This record gives sequence, structure tokens and C-alpha cells, in this order.
Amino acid sequence: MNTNLKISNVTKIYPGCVANDNISLEFNSGKIYALLGENGAGKSTLVKILSGVIIPDEGKIYLNENNLKLNSPLDAKKNDIGMVFQHFNLFETLSVFENLIIDSDEQRESLREKIDTIMKKYNFSIDLDIPVLNLSAGQKQKVEIIRCLIRSPKVLIMDEPTSVLTEQETSELFLSLKKFSEEGILIIYITHKLKEVMQLCDEVAVMRRGKLVSVSEIKNENIESLANKMVGQNLKIIKKKKAKTSSDQLIKITNLNFTSEDPFETNLMDINFSVNRGECLGIAGISGNGQSELFQVLSGEIISEKNSIEFKNNYIGDLNPQERREYLMAFSPEDRLEQAAIPQMKIFENVALNNFKSSNFFDNGLINENKIKEHSKKIISDFNVNTDNIELKSQFLSGGNLQKLIIGRELITSPDLLICFNPTWGLDVGAINYIHETLIKINEQNKSIILISTDTDELLKLSDKISVIHKGKLSKIMNAEEVTSEKLGILMGGAN
Amino acid sequence: MIKIVKRDQPSRAIFFFTPVLAIFLTLVAGGLIFFILGFKPFEALKFFFIVPIADKYGFSELLLKATPLCLIAIGLSFCFKSNNWNIGAEGQLTFGAIVSGGVALLFYEQEGFYILPTVILAGAIGGMLYASIPAILKTYFNTNEILVSLMLVYVSKLILDYLVVGPWSNPEGFNFPETRQFSDSAKLPLLFEGLRIHAGIFLALAAVVISWFVFYKTYLGFQMKVSGFSLKTAKYAGYKGKKMIILVFLISGACAGLAGVGEITGPIGQLHREISPDYGFTAIIVAFLGRLHPVGIIFASLVVAITYLGAETAQIFMQIPKYTGQVFQGMILFFLLASDYLLFFKIKFMGLKK
Repeated sequence: MNTNLKISNVTKIYPGCVANDNISLEFNSGKIYALLGENGAGKSTLVKILSGVIIPDEGKIYLNENNLKLNSPLDAKKNDIGMVFQHFNLFETLSVFENLIIDSDEQRESLREKIDTIMKKYNFSIDLDIPVLNLSAGQKQKVEIIRCLIRSPKVLIMDEPTSVLTEQETSELFLSLKKFSEEGILIIYITHKLKEVMQLCDEVAVMRRGKLVSVSEIKNENIESLANKMVGQNLKIIKKKKAKTSSDQLIKITNLNFTSEDPFETNLMDINFSVNRGECLGIAGISGNGQSELFQVLSGEIISEKNSIEFKNNYIGDLNPQERREYLMAFSPEDRLEQAAIPQMKIFENVALNNFKSSNFFDNGLINENKIKEHSKKIISDFNVNTDNIELKSQFLSGGNLQKLIIGRELITSPDLLICFNPTWGLDVGAINYIHETLIKINEQNKSIILISTDTDELLKLSDKISVIHKGKLSKIMNAEEVTSEKLGILMGGAN
Repeated sequence: MIKIVKRDQPSRAIFFFTPVLAIFLTLVAGGLIFFILGFKPFEALKFFFIVPIADKYGFSELLLKATPLCLIAIGLSFCFKSNNWNIGAEGQLTFGAIVSGGVALLFYEQEGFYILPTVILAGAIGGMLYASIPAILKTYFNTNEILVSLMLVYVSKLILDYLVVGPWSNPEGFNFPETRQFSDSAKLPLLFEGLRIHAGIFLALAAVVISWFVFYKTYLGFQMKVSGFSLKTAKYAGYKGKKMIILVFLISGACAGLAGVGEITGPIGQLHREISPDYGFTAIIVAFLGRLHPVGIIFASLVVAITYLGAETAQIFMQIPKYTGQVFQGMILFFLLASDYLLFFKIKFMGLKK
């Protein structure tokens, strides 16, 4: 049976921003649709409207010509709209089966049969009786998908489903989605990853700043044309020049171990690597494999054995971040809002967080506000932070501007080594480009970078050497030219 | 039609306006309560808020009550600004009073310029020691400081009870639960003949100035601020976040301890069971009403101090139970929290559409 889903003149306004501006779209089963846009383009709002989480200010939604009233997620379920969110909604300590039946009133036995049939049909192999916390991200996502399939949906919406998956899991997911589509389920795939759109989808709708920019068939598009539509300008393509290979060693990590008392943290085992001047070492991996712990050990938030970290011929493993900064190291943590900056504090106060003895921000224990403000103004102009008011609380900066401020704060002291963790996470393409250019520039000035990132494309673009972290262990270090994203994917999944 | 709209950013004008609004609403609600009870609302409010401070003596009493409130609230503001919920100031006050009272009794019938400073110092140390318990338990054992600091209040009151009934009770005191009177050298000097206001007020004023300077002008204050917002950020910047937590508790304990000293070496002059009419708890209201800012706290402590005096006047002249004072304190906090809603939302009045 054919399914037709129509969004008609949907508008949703939030204070200070129009999230969806008069959007009209039509979808037909048998095809896979991409909804493409940067963060903040309004994709998620639209999807939440379709799944009943948000009620639109204006506009209607029709499924097979019936006007749907979606006032709650339950209404969406009743109308055969299934949704897999980016973040899993699973009870970690319950078994897979319990998670699947939790919102259903059918008999356990008949459901079990039904689930078995679904799993056989699509070649899913998951043990139904183990707790969800023992599953990999890919398996958890399958559980979410099965939960939708139990209700035999007409529409299946996937919101950024690959952000936690390895390459292999991604291609498995794509195979399944294609199969669902052949069976007549209408699939809407939300993403900002252009490559995936090209691989998977038949038609693509691009959104920008709350507006629908274009609807077109994939065969008429290519990656560049989509990128330009998504960003609304022609993007420079940045390429890294081959670094002058230097053999001047800057930092050397030897037999570094970290054992955590917290069961939700990952232990680091026998980490060894070194970085030369002018080099960028990329560390790839699926999030939660020890990246955060590695960052903290390198920054000094976690103290390790003195001899395990050698920087410019000094052993610094037992120094705290402030003491390490004196040796000209700089750090940009993953979490901008909870760690790298304090949103409730003013811009110049946040600048004072990176404090050297020589910066004289605090003379004799007193705050030297003029000095800090002067320094902040320089960061804002040198690093293109889009504001001229350093008294502004930093919560009013956009993600991209805040990250520029943080990177600027770390770099303006011209450190010899910058350690950054997911520096472009959640940013729009323009800001990502800017950050990438900045990082390349540092390498050209013969300064070094350790780039811990979950974004494989970013790593391949910026790194000279790449290693993969999996369950707290580093793979061998490879030259970036020898590495492909497929190869990284295999290593990220834990294979040798 | 009325519509409630979220503000893009909290309004700074409203931030300072809501305490005033809260006081106004408290007066309206208080008048209403008096009316329901059968009193003339305006007359009752006059007895409550104006009569008590109409003369010199009344004004001195006002400052006398405001002094401990201000001192404690200043200390608490360090804790609250850094997200440490110390609500056991009453216990820290009591323990500070116990320690300083003990020292004062050691100097029984002795004289010397060194006695008073020693007694004051002992009180501050006592308060700090007592505040260090929830602080250390929080930082090293992850306990909840709200529970620990609150429960320790009752422990300190029982210790005081035991001491004044047992080992420290006045041998010539006919078994009254109180200690001997302190010697004059262990007492804070009175400022004016015939009035009870004493030199403790200078302690409070000094605390105001020092706390403003430390929190807004020093590196230490900056580190406390950062640690309060986010321990993760403090760690990243290389600050010793846990030490900061302990430090704010110590500051807060010292202030509460000093308030205790002020009471027993000022108007009371000895230790007995009831050294504080819950100043430690009321100071929480003062801290928030003063927006955790030193200057705001001065005003807030004066406003709240009136409720103590007004309750007594109202009891004498109108036979209203003096617990009405606590009702007023409760209402102020209630209306303050309620009107803080306006910080984040605004009310829009619109014409009827369609």
C-alpha cells in the first residue's frame, strides 16, 4: 500500500528565532528522503513536530489525506509514525526484551514471536535476554528500530542515526533501511552528513535557518552542490599542505596507565606515543572509548606518574593544568558549556581562565581587570569572535563564536602544543572551516597539535599521523596518507 | 488577553526590583491576614513595622538584631554563590558561641585587653571547625551538605544544653540552665549609654567590606566563583576546586561563629539555652533577599530584623502571638522566590484578538 505524508505550511516560532518558517513537503513511500541541514537549521524541530513532541504554531500534517492531530508522541505512534532519536531512549538495566515490550499491551508470547520474525527477516542478531547496557551502540539502535517495527509503521524517521556508529555499523544500517523502503515503509533520514545522503537517499530536502531551501533528486546533486545549499555560500575547500617532517620531538608519552574508580569511565592501558614539532597527531575512536580520560591525563586534570609524560625534556606527569600551561601547553576540552567556559560569566572573565604567570591577570592576588579586558579584545579581533562587547555573558555567544573564543584564548599565548578534543562538535560549517584553518595554521608555524576527535573526516583532513583508541588502548600510529576512513572504521570497532 | 513570554535574557532591572516587590507583597498579604484575624490591617502593620523603630531605643534594637543576621548572611553568600548549600549556620553559630563562651569562662573574673580578642577568635574558630564537618564530608565522601549541616544544628544545640545544665552551669546559679556571667573584659563594649547596641556591629560592617573585596577583586574570589559554577572548569583551569569548597564553608562558619560571639558577649553576657532566635536560619532569607550581594545584604538584614521586633511589639500591644514574625519571614522568602519567576518570564498584556 502506498503511503503519502504531507507537511503543509508548518510554522514554529521560538522567542528570538523562527525554527520552521512555512515549511511544506511531500513524501511518498518507496523512496528514502533526506532532510539535510546544519545544526540549528530547524530539522529537529520539524521532526519533533512529526513525532508529536512539539505542536506547531501553524500548519497541518496529512497522512494519506487524513489530517493528523499530533499532540503527543503517543498520537504519532497510533498513526503509525515511528521515530528513532539520536539519543537512545532505552533502560540500560532492563533486558532487551523488557525494553521492547515496555510500551506495548500485547501478550508477551505473541510479541516474542513477532520480534523473532522481525529479527530473522532483517538479519538482526541480538540476544533478547541480556541487559541493554551490554550492547554496542549499533545494537542499541537496532533495538530502537525493532521497537518501531513491532508496530508495523508506515513512516520511519531516523534522526542523525550514524553519529554513534562505526563505518561497518553504518553500512549495515543502510542495508536495513533500503530493505524497509522496498517493503513500502516511508523513510525520512535526518542528517548533516553529505556523504550519507549521497549513498543512501533518493530525494533530498535542504533546510537553512528555518526555511526550506530546496527539494531535489539525488541524481541531480553532488556533494559540493548540497554543501553550498546547506551553508548558503560557496565554501572554500581547505587542504592541508604536507608538513615539513621534523624529527624534533616535543612530547613523549611512555607507558601511561590510568585506572578509574568510576565504573562509567574507561581505563587507559599502556599508552605510548610521541609528537614532533609541527605535527598533528589525530586520535580517532567512537566516543566513550577513553578519549575523555586521555584528554584529562594529557591536560593534567588527572595526574599521572611523573615520568610517563615528557614535554620538552621535562617530566610533567605530576603537574596540574595550570603548571603545564607554564611549559606552553594549551587545552581545548570537548565540553564548551560545562568545562571550557562558564556560560554565566562574562567573556573577559572566561578569558582569565587561561592564566599564565607572565600574563599578569592576577597581580599579588588581585584581579587586574584592565589587563584581562585588553587581552580579551585582542582575542575577539584576532579570532573573529562575532561580538564587540567583552562584558557580554558568554551564554549569549553561539556555539561557533564560543569555540572561537576558547581556541583563541588557548592560542593567543602561542603555545608549543595544543591538545583539543572534538573542537568542531556541533558547529556549523562556517565555524568548522574557520577552526580547521586555524589548526592548520598552527602546524605551519611549527607548533604541534594532538587532536582527539570522533569525526573521521576531520581527522583525515588535519592529521599527519593517526592512531585509534578503542577500550582505552591505542592502536599503532599510522601515517595519515596510508589511512582510509574504512580502515579507521575497522580499528574503531576493535579489530586489529 | 494575558500571555506569558520567556525573556531572551534575565532582566537586570527586575533582578534588583523583585526583592522590593516581595516586601511589598508581604505587606499586602500580612495586612490581609490581620484583617481576617479581625484587626485593622493598617494599624496592625503600623505596630509591626513602624512603632518598634520609632524611637532611639527601637532603632538600637533594630541594629542589634540586624548585626548577627548580616554577619551570617555575608558568610552564607560565599557558600550560596558557589553552589554549596550550607543551611547549618545556626549550628555553626551555636558551636562558635560554645567555644568562645568556654574561653570567656576560663577568664572568669580576670581582666586584660587580650581577653576579648581571644574570645572573639575562639568563636570564629569554633564556627569554622563546625562548618568543616559538612565541607569535608561533602568533598571527600560525597555526602549531601544540606542534610549534614542541618542535622548538625541539633547536635550543637544539644551540646550547649548539656554544658549549661551540667559541667558549665553556674555553681551559684540555683540550678538554672546557664553559666556564670562573663567578666567585663570578655564583653563587647556598648556604644551608647542606656542602649544595647554594641561593638559587634563593626564586625558585621568589616565582614561586608572584606567579603565584597575578596569576592569581586581578588584571585581567590575569582577561583571561588569559578569553582562554584563548575568544578570541572575549576579543574581544567588548574584550581583546587575541593579546597575552594572547604574554604567557603570555613568563611561561612567563621561568620556564623562571630555572630554567636556577638550575642553571648554582647546583650547576653553568658551562655544559656536560648542564645539565638534562629538567626542562622533567618539569615538564609536575608542572604537571598539581599541577592547575595554585600550591600543588598545590609538592607535585607535591616528589613528582616524588623520582623523580630514587630512580632514582640504586636504581641505586647495587640496580643498577636510573636510567631507572626516567622510568618512574615516565611512570606518574604515565598514571595521572593515567586517573583523571581519574572526574571525569566515577562507578562504581556494584549488586546483581545479576533
